[in-house]
Amino acid sequence: MPELNVGAAQAAVKLEGVCKTYQRDGQLIPVLEHIGLSIPQGQFIALMGPSGSGKTTLLNLIAGIDRPTSGSVLVHGTDVTTLSEAALAKWRSRSVGFIFQFYNLIPVLTAVGNVELPLMLTSLSRKQRRERALIALRTVGIADRAEHYPRQLSGGQEQRVAIARAIVGDPQILVADEPTGDLDAKSADEVLDLMQALNHQFGKTIVMVTHDPRAASRAHSQKHLEKGVLLGAQP
Amino acid sequence: MKWIPFVLKHLRQNWIRTASTAAGIAVCIFLFCTLQTIVASLQGSLNQGAARLITRNNVSRFYSLPNAYEERIAAVPGVKRVAAANYFGGMRDVNNPDSEFANFAIEAENFLAMYPEYILTEAEKKAFLGDQHGSIVGRALAEQFNWKAGDTVQLTSNIYRTGKPFEFVISAIYHTDQTRYPGTNESTLFLHYQYLDETTGRRAGVRTYRVEIADPQEAGVISHAIDNLFENSDAETHTETEAQYRANAGVLGGNLVLLLNGIGLAVMFTLLLVTANTMSMAVRERRTEIGVLKTLGFSGRLVLGLILAEGVLLGVSGAVVGLLLGRFLLDILPGVPVIGDLVRRFPKMNVPPTIAGGGILIGMSLGLVAGLFPSVFAYRAGVTELLRQT
Repeated sequence: MPELNVGAAQAAVKLEGVCKTYQRDGQLIPVLEHIGLSIPQGQFIALMGPSGSGKTTLLNLIAGIDRPTSGSVLVHGTDVTTLSEAALAKWRSRSVGFIFQFYNLIPVLTAVGNVELPLMLTSLSRKQRRERALIALRTVGIADRAEHYPRQLSGGQEQRVAIARAIVGDPQILVADEPTGDLDAKSADEVLDLMQALNHQFGKTIVMVTHDPRAASRAHSQKHLEKGVLLGAQP
Repeated sequence: MKWIPFVLKHLRQNWIRTASTAAGIAVCIFLFCTLQTIVASLQGSLNQGAARLITRNNVSRFYSLPNAYEERIAAVPGVKRVAAANYFGGMRDVNNPDSEFANFAIEAENFLAMYPEYILTEAEKKAFLGDQHGSIVGRALAEQFNWKAGDTVQLTSNIYRTGKPFEFVISAIYHTDQTRYPGTNESTLFLHYQYLDETTGRRAGVRTYRVEIADPQEAGVISHAIDNLFENSDAETHTETEAQYRANAGVLGGNLVLLLNGIGLAVMFTLLLVTANTMSMAVRERRTEIGVLKTLGFSGRLVLGLILAEGVLLGVSGAVVGLLLGRFLLDILPGVPVIGDLVRRFPKMNVPPTIAGGGILIGMSLGLVAGLFPSVFAYRAGVTELLRQT
């Protein structure tokens, strides 16, 4: 798949000198070291690397659910490292859609209830929330299962609902952590088709962590991490 | 309001756990309401009659005092009225000790003047005072035995044995005002002391003199003055306020109130621990879910509020069930064999609004406090930490 013209596009994500260190049992464990990364708007990139290389940590930093030890993370011009917890939560609800490996749907809510969840944080009425949630479910091709509970859905269907939940608030960026890691080949292909469509038709910037070279091949570009260092990048 | 369905769905998720926790809270609130109603009822009766003293034999309440004391007590400065009142010990069936109920022989005119809590119309009072064989009975007692004014009642006293039953006519049914005089007994029969005294050949004696005083502040001084009158006599007296007398009369003692409150507190504390543990388990199981909510943009404060709301809803629903249980029990208890006989001796009990409100508040607080620890955990935990717990 051809890469977008990076030079022409505005950077949706820009990381500069990002380091992340965890403290465990009194020991400092570096996870990411001096990461510099620029992801143009509308780009679909795959983050690859062996287990423990820091892929998910990097994804979490971009999504604003973790903070770097040092460095800056700019997403559409907002330095998310400077935001307070409350402001960061608000920013996440508006700017980022998150797709998990294990879907992480709320079991007590139906498919449409799960998709509606991010909209509960807005001032939309119940009717408006439902309409938008159904549109999102139609977009991912699973509107006929709107009233089904997660336990009544297959893995592929659950992931579609999770994607609908991620896009319902119309975020600028989608982050996906091994979105096909728990799916069979057919379902994985369908999910990847869907993500590509979101990228192509709606211009969503997508950052996807994956181990799977087939999944990674759907992205415009692939970035490789090893022991917390982004390969081929300037420190 | 838009979050209530979300909270309710979570409570329904593990309905067995939710139902058992709510049932635990219900039992706690049921105990609280029932015990507090009993305590309020007892205290209500204890607090009545601040301006009334009771004079009895200094040896024991089972010994009598001479009738001649009445005039001397009435002459003590500060005393307004004096009325003899003896426990009659009347039973409907002499072979069945359980058929005994509260009944007193009183000097009716003075007694009724100093006990406004027994409410009669002027005509009813006149009918009672005008008939030496007359009696008045409380509404609850009349309902229990299906008595009405004009009925003739035969009672055998286990104290005054005359070989044949005493016969009374029910002159009137007295009422009470539980708002003005909470805890007033509606299950008592009053008969004329004069009838008792004459039937026993003037050997009834006086077990208690009810003494109304002008100024409750002077109760100590007047009690002392009365007892001084009969010091070193054959029948020395012991005078105390009505509240003290009732408190010393066994079951109405302050220790019982303390015991009942202690039981209530112990049950509540135990329930708090159980509910807190249940809530912690529920939240621990939903760590990933909380992580997801936070990832979606739910603030820590909102997550904290949702978990606390779960606790409060659980507590309030348990409290409402407990309250209804309490009301139901207090309604049916007088009709229960054996226990009912005991309960009927207490003043009429009904869960007052203050205790009902207190019960709901306690249920709510139980849920709130139980939800505090897990909600603070959820509030403080980082998203990555929560998602890692999968």
